[in-house]
Amino acid sequence: MGLKTEVLIVGGGATGVGIARDLSRRGIPLILIEKGDFAFGASGRNHGLLHSGARYAVTDPQAAKECIEENRILRKIAPHCIEETGGLFISLPEDGLDFRDRFLRACEKVEIPTHLISPEEALHLEPGLNPDLLSAIQVPDGAIDPFALILSNAREAEAHGATFLLHTEVLSILSERDKVKGVRVKDQLTGEEYSIETSFLINATGAWADHFLKPLGLRIGIALSKGSMMITNRRLSQRVINRCRPPSDGDIVVPNHTVSILGTTSVRVMEVENFEITPSEISLLIHETSRMIPSIEGCRFIRAYAGIRPLFMEEEKEEDRSISRGFVLMDHEKRDGLKNLITITGGKLITYRLMAEKASDLICEKMGVNIPCSTHLIPLPGADQPRGLKERLKNLPMGETLCDCELVKRDEVEALLKDKKLKELQDLLHRTRMAKGTCQGGFCVYRLLGVLNESEKEFGDSNRILKGFLEERWKGIQPILWGSAVKEEEVVEGIYKVIFNLKS
Amino acid sequence: MQHDLIIIGMGLSGLMAAKTALDLGKRVLVIGKGMGGLILFSNTIDVLGKVPETLPLKDGLSHWIKEHPEHPYSKTGVEGIEEALSSFVSLFPPPYTFHSLDERNRKLPTAVGTLRPTYLFPSTLSGGVFLKEGNTLIVGFKGFKDFYAAYMAKQFKCRYLTVSLQEEGLPELTATYLTRQMEKEEVRERVGLEIKNSLRGETLIGFPALLGLNDPVRIKAHLEAITGGEIFEIPTLPPSILGMRIFNRFKAYLLERGANFLQGHKVSRVEVKGSICEGIEVFHPPISRFYSAPHFILATGRFIGGGLEAERERIVESLFHLPVFSEAPREEWFGKNFFDSHPIHRSGISVDHSFRPLDHNGKAVFENVRVVGTILSGHHYIDEGSREGIEISTGYWGVKRLFE
Repeated sequence: MGLKTEVLIVGGGATGVGIARDLSRRGIPLILIEKGDFAFGASGRNHGLLHSGARYAVTDPQAAKECIEENRILRKIAPHCIEETGGLFISLPEDGLDFRDRFLRACEKVEIPTHLISPEEALHLEPGLNPDLLSAIQVPDGAIDPFALILSNAREAEAHGATFLLHTEVLSILSERDKVKGVRVKDQLTGEEYSIETSFLINATGAWADHFLKPLGLRIGIALSKGSMMITNRRLSQRVINRCRPPSDGDIVVPNHTVSILGTTSVRVMEVENFEITPSEISLLIHETSRMIPSIEGCRFIRAYAGIRPLFMEEEKEEDRSISRGFVLMDHEKRDGLKNLITITGGKLITYRLMAEKASDLICEKMGVNIPCSTHLIPLPGADQPRGLKERLKNLPMGETLCDCELVKRDEVEALLKDKKLKELQDLLHRTRMAKGTCQGGFCVYRLLGVLNESEKEFGDSNRILKGFLEERWKGIQPILWGSAVKEEEVVEGIYKVIFNLKS
Repeated sequence: MQHDLIIIGMGLSGLMAAKTALDLGKRVLVIGKGMGGLILFSNTIDVLGKVPETLPLKDGLSHWIKEHPEHPYSKTGVEGIEEALSSFVSLFPPPYTFHSLDERNRKLPTAVGTLRPTYLFPSTLSGGVFLKEGNTLIVGFKGFKDFYAAYMAKQFKCRYLTVSLQEEGLPELTATYLTRQMEKEEVRERVGLEIKNSLRGETLIGFPALLGLNDPVRIKAHLEAITGGEIFEIPTLPPSILGMRIFNRFKAYLLERGANFLQGHKVSRVEVKGSICEGIEVFHPPISRFYSAPHFILATGRFIGGGLEAERERIVESLFHLPVFSEAPREEWFGKNFFDSHPIHRSGISVDHSFRPLDHNGKAVFENVRVVGTILSGHHYIDEGSREGIEISTGYWGVKRLFE
């Protein structure tokens, strides 16, 4: 089998899928391939923060400006993926007020609206804050669901004729002299190998950008910066809480549905995959974020995870936090003499649409197509759907509750099973709230597999899948096992190792 | 009222200790937050799952004790374990009896299609031993989320049947609801008939362990009469009806013999003077009451039961702040993989021959407190398949040695 297309996008993160939406709206035929599921890399491993840009106002005004502009656009086009929580930047006694004043001026310059409030007002809004705070500044931060955002983009792109091939990995790039001809790929699940010919190739592989270019003898200079995050078992604040000081470790707490996410660290790593979260990162995150919200010290955590930020650097810098969080769009024709290849990487989730616009503009320019971008004007599919917990509870589907932590009903899963593109357990987990609650799938994944067996839709041997899931789950759980989390872990071990007698 | 002994904890070890004390004519107070691990785990009585079926369990145990002098079993010895198990078995008169097959471990089928070795089990589970590809029909209930017949059947290459007990759209079914339903004759008639009509030559019928709380043997016999097949029960996700049957039997026995049974109450404080525990304070909302006795048994279990607590950097015993023995430093509590043997589960309280808790110099910390059950150090019940055996034998001998 072989496929042929006009534009081939590699990478199913926010950027790649955003480009697919953009180009397909402009009527350009395209295929997107992704080696895992959507949001396999950093797009699925971040805080879910709808940045106001304020965090970068002092250190990186350009990135800050992009953030606030995109923030305004996303509120319009993707309200169903956003919770408008608002955010606070709080100053603690050890921070002083010098940075705060610079921060206020810098925000004003890039037109990020701020509102300075007193400690009393801040504590009234957020009673969990450190009562010693000196001041707080309101900014238009929010929470965003990256996966829902990507799925909405993909849905629209598909409606405009784009093709998405998930679980499809690039084996090699086919090229001749000054041109890329296509790629050879492998279907990860069936093992089938085939070629895709294309007129234009877009490298939207994020942290894998250099890895992808390597066979062509190219390198663009990506620093891999690991950011670790921790999830609490309850929501600690209604707003995003930031520390008002220069960007540093453990300076943010983002509310997300029923939980909060603490972030982050910044550790340079060499490998894009196979990284772990160290005990010192855990201690650091708890220590720093509990300065802002003291109850974090005694909190129960349900998971720790990390993502790799691809940071573009023209020259080596000592400290990763000083590298711009802006994005890079590279035309390999100008740089390396390869006519039809471009790379887009770096940036932030919040600027995915802008990145997609710029990349699509460049492709259109190369193709000689003169249709303007419209992704900032038209709401994404689902934008008119009711949203929020209240709406969800009102419209709860029927059937047994498979996931008690996050109220996922059997009928919700059965509706998803009609989608033939879902090829593995994780695809289902990504598309529901399953395994995202307190037990992290300790109970519900067995039930999910039970339903799959009844529906004749299991994706292979159930025990192999179950054991694979338990090992994957363990990676996120193991770093946070103390306190009451250990109780639940003993129950989970009791179920799978004792009652079910499963062995590795 | 005066008590000779106060037992803290209502899991299998605490209940076993209470029974033993009552059998010796003692006045006993048992206090517990809940049902202990019985509602979660106790599906059958595991003594040492590691012993192969080819060997009499006794021989395997002797060998194990020789190799593991620090194990709780080495405090009781093989004969001691057997004596304790007989005492447990004697609690269950026919027809719902616990027994072994040839005094060896036997493998019973699980809900995910594996076989698990266990030692004593009630007769309602025995049929599982004969499960073979194609000879069993696995039955499940629509709307019951803690057991999926299709999952198990596919693993064993058998057929399955999902019975519908209610109309679509009603709330989900729980294990306790289904158990009560199965106690009704007319429900059994319906279910039995549906099973009968679905049999295609199968002689065995696997049923989730929901065959009533009170008279499972009669319920099994009734279903067998209707279907013509042999029924066996299969353990489900918690809550465990099999464990509840054990709990209920103990509770009835203890109450009959005059034990004071304080279920649903938490010990809020212990009163200690030197190496003597003078009494305990129990919180009965909205008041607290003080209970004293010459002897105390601590049977509070591990992390689930709340006997042990894992703080950020260390493991503590919650009530008496007893020294906790831990083989592994903090960073090695848990292995890299879920299916590793996690060293944290080996930590616990170290005791002397009469089950008194020891400090790090090997000296008894309390004269009148005995520690029994899974909270003890030196075992790994998850890996060993030894949970109930440890609970029964230490609960029994903790009391026996106290009054000997």
